Amino acid sequence: MALSCLTRALRSLTLSQPALLSSQVNKYSFPFASTVNLQPSELCISFFVCKAPVAQLKLGTLVPSTVSQCRGFLTTASLKQNRTYWKQMDKYTTRPMGMKKTGGRDHTGKIRTRGIGGGHKQRYRWVDFQRLRYEPNKEGQPFEEKVVQVRYDPCRSADIALIAGGNRKRWIIATEKMQAGDIIKTSGVIGRMAVSANEGDAYPLGALPVGTLVNNLEIQPGKGSQFIRAAGTTGVLLRKVNGTAIVQLPSKQQVQVLETCMVTVGRVSNIDHNKRIIGKAGRNRWLGIRPSSGLWKRKGGWAGRKIKPLPQMKSYINLPLISAN
Amino acid sequence: MIPEATHYLKATVSLFSPNVFLNASKLSAQGAPSSLQTRRNLRVSHCLAANVSHPKKQREKVEIPGLKMVTYGDRMHYIPGLAKPVYSPWKMSFKDPRLYRSPPAQEMALYKDKPCYVFNQRTSILEGVRQAAWLTKTHLSPGLLPHLVSLAAKPENQLPNQDERVQNAIKHARFWDTTEPRPRKEKYSKTLLLNLLHLCASLQPSHPAVGRRILAENYSLAATWKRGEDLFQIRGRNGLLHCSMDPLPRICGEQEVLETSDRVLESFCPVSPTIDLQQVSVYKEEMNYTGFRGEYPYPHAHTLYFLETSDPNCQLRPEQFRAKMIMFTFGNALARAHKLYGTQPQSLLERPITVQAVGTNGRIFQFLVFQLNTTDLSGDDGIKNQAWLDEDVELYDFAKVRPFIKRKEVKVPAGLAGYKPETFSKFLTLYLHGAA
Repeated sequence: MALSCLTRALRSLTLSQPALLSSQVNKYSFPFASTVNLQPSELCISFFVCKAPVAQLKLGTLVPSTVSQCRGFLTTASLKQNRTYWKQMDKYTTRPMGMKKTGGRDHTGKIRTRGIGGGHKQRYRWVDFQRLRYEPNKEGQPFEEKVVQVRYDPCRSADIALIAGGNRKRWIIATEKMQAGDIIKTSGVIGRMAVSANEGDAYPLGALPVGTLVNNLEIQPGKGSQFIRAAGTTGVLLRKVNGTAIVQLPSKQQVQVLETCMVTVGRVSNIDHNKRIIGKAGRNRWLGIRPSSGLWKRKGGWAGRKIKPLPQMKSYINLPLISAN
Repeated sequence: MIPEATHYLKATVSLFSPNVFLNASKLSAQGAPSSLQTRRNLRVSHCLAANVSHPKKQREKVEIPGLKMVTYGDRMHYIPGLAKPVYSPWKMSFKDPRLYRSPPAQEMALYKDKPCYVFNQRTSILEGVRQAAWLTKTHLSPGLLPHLVSLAAKPENQLPNQDERVQNAIKHARFWDTTEPRPRKEKYSKTLLLNLLHLCASLQPSHPAVGRRILAENYSLAATWKRGEDLFQIRGRNGLLHCSMDPLPRICGEQEVLETSDRVLESFCPVSPTIDLQQVSVYKEEMNYTGFRGEYPYPHAHTLYFLETSDPNCQLRPEQFRAKMIMFTFGNALARAHKLYGTQPQSLLERPITVQAVGTNGRIFQFLVFQLNTTDLSGDDGIKNQAWLDEDVELYDFAKVRPFIKRKEVKVPAGLAGYKPETFSKFLTLYLHGAA
């Protein structure tokens, strides 16, 4: 069986091909085989290593040529096991999905982020961050939705709320005083007068009065909220400048975004999240946090309190460039 | 930098870029990608690199009418520069049922633009009983009517040794019916229901009308009706049906039926009443089917018995379970009404159709009596149907295989505890209704 695999593999190797470079490139027909392991299992065929043939160009620079081809093939069972198939759903669903933990590993299989691994199994609840999502036949009109349930989400620090409106249900990030049975409003209209918003409602930034506490900020209209989503966080709408609005994020950084970006009013739920006491190492392990190295290491320039001026205001409005041409 | 050096540096860069490899692969006759480096190259083919493969952006194919594309189809092999030939999809000359692929929804014969909302036995509607009442245009009253309950108080409507026999039935279902330590919930709830039905049927010598009934299981129900602008259907198989040769008498008098037109249905804005219902575009209009064909000797639905399913995907909460009871009872009544009086909506039926339902999970019972007064369901006003719902009636408190001991004290002893005789009398009343 291994012999048949080997012959199959050899048959698939292509012969010489004309290169893209000049005709002075030499042609090499056969790759060099360094090791061939004939093992009983089909999956353990080792890789054919090609020694790169070297071609001489005009100026004498040694450049490997693209000539000899070798189709690569797998040496391990399957690298597909770290594909994120569970994330590839097209249709929105409120049903919680089984999740695959990565352990801090990236697509190559190596650890990219240390200290992540283990922890309780979690099911992912697909949160709809684009609050202003109209139903198929009801574009353009402000709509209301009813909060059915507010519950804990293992995948984030904030609580999530199941809201139902019209013919659909979806999960959103719950705000501080949201309870089952509340009616929350979503509107995309910017009027001349600022709206007196209730907590949990979603409006564009241009429709809110200056000084409102906001969360779930969109930086590009229609993209979905990317900022201020963690437990207990809130941003402040500082000022509105012709067509744009400036919001202060929880890190005191200020951002300038278009006034049509949607935002939710209020503080994110679970405000005592930062006051919790872990209590023991085991609880951290339940959360999927692996221990850091126990060795004493001299701290570098990163440690200690830093007092710096605030970074400049970041602007996310794509103004047309004034080119000198 | 020296221009020639930059030129050759660029050439070097282009050599090592992945595009070169891909170009080489496109040009090669066999399409094999190349790999030059001595180490394993993760950019060689997409099955080696376990990236999440992004869908390739296809170039838009522009169709210019009148312009004939020169394809390499005649030449029988790929030629760079010529267009890819487009062939019509091949179809087999004969029909093979194993290889049949159903057409997309838009091409099916029964496709309609207007969607229909279907309620099936796995549907779990958000608002529960209120939504079911709106969908069926029903006025819901809590508790059973007193004249029904008083029916059970009469001595001729009671079993000899009733309490003892019912307790034996419960013990059989909960303790004795298995070789394992304790029977599973689906098993004991079904056994209990069948035991209680058997006890009720033992009254046949004194109530001969009981013999004119039959139990039917797993029959398919279909009923269609219009509510406002939307079309609704009930489809599905529900559990056990007691059907009889004689219809049930009406529960409510004419006066109360006319009074229901003053009541207002509960609305639950902003949630739409069609939430959680299955939306289908391929359906048969005017689909009304009682579950039995032709002249069936037991055409009148008497009582439906609902059990909780063991399917983990559709676990119904008590509220949703009661909603399912209401919907299926209504479906049976409506299918019968359509058969008797035709499918044209009628605002007042001269003989309202009464159907009963009992739902249980093995310990807690829900009793429902439904009276269909009207088939004109399109508007929210007018005469409404009526339903009387008795929720969460316990038959017994505990049936423990092993005693519940806390801190060396027996809190709940083993065996049957807290038996309530009224529940069985209600069950018996609903059974004998129409026969006594």
